[in-house]
Amino acid sequence: METSRTTSRERQTAPDIQRPWEIPAADGTPLYVHVPFCEAKCPYCDFFSVAGEGQDIEGSLEALISEVERRGPRSPRTVFVGGGTPSWLSIDQLERLFGAMQSRTGYRDSAQEVTVECNPESLDEEKARALVELGATRLSIGFQSLRPETLELFGRVHGVDDSFAAFQAARAAGVAAVSVDLIFGAEGQTVGEWREDLTRVLDLKPEHLSCYGLTFEEGTLFTRWLEEGRIERIPEEEELELFRATRELTSTRGYHAYEVSNFCLSGHECHHNLNYWRNGPYVGIGPGAASYVSGTRFGNPRSLEAWRRGAKGGEASLPWSETLNPSHRLAETWWLGLRLAEGLDASAAREHCGVSASEDLCLPEARQLAEEGLLVERGGRWRLTGEGLELADAVSGRLLATGLA
Amino acid sequence: MQTERIRNFSIIAHIDHGKSTLADRMLEHTGAVQRREMRDQLLDDMELERERGITIKARAVTIEHEVDGETYQLNLIDTPGHVDFSYEVQKSMQACEGALLLVDASQGVEAQTVANAYLAVEQDLEIIPVLNKIDLAHSRPDEVAEEIEHSLAIDASDALAVSAKSGEGVGAVLDRVVREIPPPEGDLDAPLQALIFDAVYDEYRGIIVYLRLFNGVLTKRAMTRMLGTGKVYEAIEIGKFSPNMTKCDELRAGEVGYLVSNIKSLGDVRIGDTLTINKGPEVEMLPGYKEPVHMVFADFYPTNPGEFEALRDALETLSLTDSSFSFHPETSDALGFGFRCGFLGLLHMEIIQQRLEREHDMDMIQTAPSVTYMIRKAGGEEEMIRSPGQLPPRDHYEELLEPIARVSMLVPTEYLGNLMQISVDHRGTFVRQDHLSPTRVQVEFDMPMGEIIYDFYDKLKSATRGYGTLNYEVTGFNADDLVKLQILVNGDEVDALSCIVHRSQADMRGRAVLKKLRKEIPRHMFEVRLQAAIGSKIIARESIAALRKDVTAKCYGGDITRKRKLLEKQKAGKRRMRQVGNVDIPQKAFLSVLGGDDK
Repeated sequence: METSRTTSRERQTAPDIQRPWEIPAADGTPLYVHVPFCEAKCPYCDFFSVAGEGQDIEGSLEALISEVERRGPRSPRTVFVGGGTPSWLSIDQLERLFGAMQSRTGYRDSAQEVTVECNPESLDEEKARALVELGATRLSIGFQSLRPETLELFGRVHGVDDSFAAFQAARAAGVAAVSVDLIFGAEGQTVGEWREDLTRVLDLKPEHLSCYGLTFEEGTLFTRWLEEGRIERIPEEEELELFRATRELTSTRGYHAYEVSNFCLSGHECHHNLNYWRNGPYVGIGPGAASYVSGTRFGNPRSLEAWRRGAKGGEASLPWSETLNPSHRLAETWWLGLRLAEGLDASAAREHCGVSASEDLCLPEARQLAEEGLLVERGGRWRLTGEGLELADAVSGRLLATGLA
Repeated sequence: MQTERIRNFSIIAHIDHGKSTLADRMLEHTGAVQRREMRDQLLDDMELERERGITIKARAVTIEHEVDGETYQLNLIDTPGHVDFSYEVQKSMQACEGALLLVDASQGVEAQTVANAYLAVEQDLEIIPVLNKIDLAHSRPDEVAEEIEHSLAIDASDALAVSAKSGEGVGAVLDRVVREIPPPEGDLDAPLQALIFDAVYDEYRGIIVYLRLFNGVLTKRAMTRMLGTGKVYEAIEIGKFSPNMTKCDELRAGEVGYLVSNIKSLGDVRIGDTLTINKGPEVEMLPGYKEPVHMVFADFYPTNPGEFEALRDALETLSLTDSSFSFHPETSDALGFGFRCGFLGLLHMEIIQQRLEREHDMDMIQTAPSVTYMIRKAGGEEEMIRSPGQLPPRDHYEELLEPIARVSMLVPTEYLGNLMQISVDHRGTFVRQDHLSPTRVQVEFDMPMGEIIYDFYDKLKSATRGYGTLNYEVTGFNADDLVKLQILVNGDEVDALSCIVHRSQADMRGRAVLKKLRKEIPRHMFEVRLQAAIGSKIIARESIAALRKDVTAKCYGGDITRKRKLLEKQKAGKRRMRQVGNVDIPQKAFLSVLGGDDK
C-alpha cells in the first residue's frame, strides 16, 4: 500500500516531494467546502462536525475563507457545500463564504451545479432565497426520518413538520433542484412503515433522493451503543427487504436508481457526486475534507485547531495522504464505478490509469464474477446484477483483493 | 580449577514452584550479576519464555561460591518444569552430579515434582530437597516434607526452607550444594570426552554447542571430532556461562561450557553426541539420551503454498535448538504440501508454532493435534497411522489400535470424586490410588492418549479448581472400536478436519466440531453446508447461511480511502485462510476438532 503519513520529518528528508496542499488543481476541478458546525451532533454521524454553540465560528469562517483563497480551484465544474450543516450559518456568514469562493474560483460562471446541504431547523424561505442568490442550484435537505421516535433516536433537533416546511421553503425560493436525505433500517422499523414514509416523500416530487441504510460507523456513539447492547441492528433479512422496497417504490414513481443509495428524476443526477464514483479529482476545503489532486488523495486535519493553523498558512500536518500506483488506482476505479447504474467502462478506466488490458488484474476476476451472476458486461461496460448490487461489498472486496495482489 | 572444587547441579521443580526465581537469587547472591543488571528470569532469554513465565530450553550458568575460605565453581543448569519438556530436563541432568528438588511449601508435591525426581533418581543424582515460598502465610513445610518422603522415598527431614522471592536461605542452599553434591569424577589426563547436551544457532557464529566435559581438557584451537556424526571442527572459541558467554582458553574435565566452531550445517550436530579430540586416542561414546517420545502430532502448512521450502528451512533451524520435535513432509488434499510434526505434548506444540511465527516469520495453517494410531492387518502386520488421512478403508485392516498412557495425577482429597468422574468419562481405567497425606491423593489411570490431548487437561483443571496436576507416560497400544470421523464442507471431505474417535463418542464429537466450524467459517455469497460422517453415514449437519446484503450505503469523496481500506482489511483477514473448494476456511477452524472450552 502506498499510503504514507505526511510527517515533517519526511518533508525534510524528501524536499523534492511536493506537499499535498501545494499540488495545483487543474482548472475545472470540482470543489467541496466543509462547514463543520451543526446545531447538535447526531450519534450515527461520522463526518467531522461539532455542535456550533460556544465555538469560535468567526475564526473558523475566516480560516475557511483563507483556505479557499489559497487552494480553491479556478472555474470548478461543480461545487458542493456540505458538512456539518451549512444552513446553520447565518445569511451574512454564508454571503461572506460564498463571496470569497466566487472571488477566488469564479464558480458562478463555471459551475453547472452548486449544492448546499441544509437541515430542516435552519432552512427557512429567507435563507433559501439567499442561497439561490448566491448561486445554489440544489438544496439537499436532511429529513432522515418521518417518525418522531426515530428522529429522537437519531438525535435530530427538528420535527417531522419542520422537514416539510423546509422543503416548501426551498420550493418557494425557486431552487432548480431539491434533494431529500432519508435513513432506513433503524431498530423497530417495519417495511410497511418505510413504504409509507417513502411514499410521503415521493409525493413531494423531489428532483433527487438519497436513501441510506443505517450504518454503524467506527467511532460513533451508535457503534458504542451497539456494543453496549443499548441499541440493536435489524436482521439482515429485514434490511434487505427495506433496500428492495426502496428500489421498487422509487422505480414505480419514475426515479432512476443511478447509484446504490441515490435516486433522481431524469437529468437530476448529482454531478458533483458522480465525479467521486467516476474516480475523478476534487479539492476539499475545511476540517476533515479530502482532496484528490494529480493522483494524490489526502485529508485535512480532523480537529478545528490543527486545521485552522494550516488553513491560515501555518504548517499543516495532514493526517494522511496516499498516492496509488496505476493498478491500485484502477482497482479502486472498478470498485467505485460499480456503485453506479452506468457501471464502469473498463477500457476507458485502464487508459486513464495507464494500465494495459493484460495488466488489469481485476478483469479476470470480473469475468469470474460474471460467471457467478454477480456482474454483467455489455458493450464494454461492467455493471452489478441485481444480486451483485446487494452483495456489492463482497464483490468489490474480491476485485480489490485480486487487483492489489 | 581442580575438579574437587567443581559442582554441577540442576534444579528440578513443578511449574510455578519458583525455580527460575531461585536461580536468579543464586546469581545475585554470588555476585555473578549485579543487582542493577538483574531482571526477572535472567536465564530465560527467549522472548516467549519471559512472556509466559516458563522455561522452555535448558540454560547453563557458572557461578562462584565460597565455603570455609575455599572458592568453588558451581555450574547450574536450569531446567524446565512443564511435563512436555521432561526431555530437556533429562538432558540437563545428564550433565550433573546433583539436583535441588524444589517444592512449593504451600502447593506441595505435584505431578511433575514426582516425574522429575524419578528422572534424577534414575540418573543417580544426589538430591537435596528444598522447600520454597516459606514466607507465604499458608505454607505448610512439615506436611510437604512428609509428602516428599512418602511419594519419593527421599529423606526430607533436613529439607532446606527458603524464600526465593526474598532471598532468605539461598546462601544455605549453596553451602549444601558444595558440601553434599559430589565433585565430578573426571580424569584430566584421560582423552577428551565431552557430552553435547544442548546447542543453539547464532546467525553470525553458527551453531554454539553446550558441553559437559567428563574427561580430559579442551583447549582453544583444538581440532575436535563428534563421534556420532564423525564431523571434525576446530574449536575457534570456547568459554563458560557466567552468566553471559565468557571466552576462556581451556575447559577441563567436570566443567560446563560452550564451543563455537562456525558450524553452519545443522545436521552436523546431534544433541547427546560425544565430542573428543580428532585423531586422538579412541574414547567411548557417553551414554546417549533416551529418544524423545512424540505424543502429539499436528500438521503445519504454509499459508502461502509457495513458502514450503522456507518452512522446511525454518523447521530445520528450529530443530537444532529443540531436537525434541520431528517433522516429515506431508500432503493434504485440502492444504497442499506441508509437514507432519511430532511433539512432546500440547504446550510443546504451541511453542514450536509460535517460535516459527515469531523467529522465522512463517504464516502457517496448523491442523488440530492428534496421536499416532496403529492398524493390525489380517496377517498380523502392523502399520502406524500418523494422520487420519492415512487410515485405509475398513476392510483393509483387522484392528485399529490407539496409544494408551499411564496418567498419574495429584489432587487435594476433596476433588477425588470429580477426578474419578472425568477420568471415566475420558475412557480411563482405574489403576491405583495412594494417599500421600491426609489432604493429598495420588491417582493413576490408564487412558487413551487421544483423550488426554482432546481436552482432559482442561477438564482436570476445572474439576479440581486448578489444583490437580498430571503427568503421563505412553505405555502401549490398545485395540478399540475406533472410527474415522469425516468432516465435509459443501459435500467434499476436508481431510485436514477429519479425526479418529471412539464410536461411542462420534455423534457428540461430530456435533461439537460442526458447531465450532459454524462459528469460525465466515459467511459466503452462497450457503456453506457442513456435515460430519462416518463412512457414508451422515451423523450431524449444520449450515452457514449465505450473505444476503453486504453493501456500503454511503461512499463519497471523504470516505473513499477509508472505505477502500475497510474492504482491503477483509482481504488481509483472508491471508490466514485456506480455500477448500470455493469455501474460505480460516486457520482457527482447523483446530475445531480439539475439545476444550469455546474461546
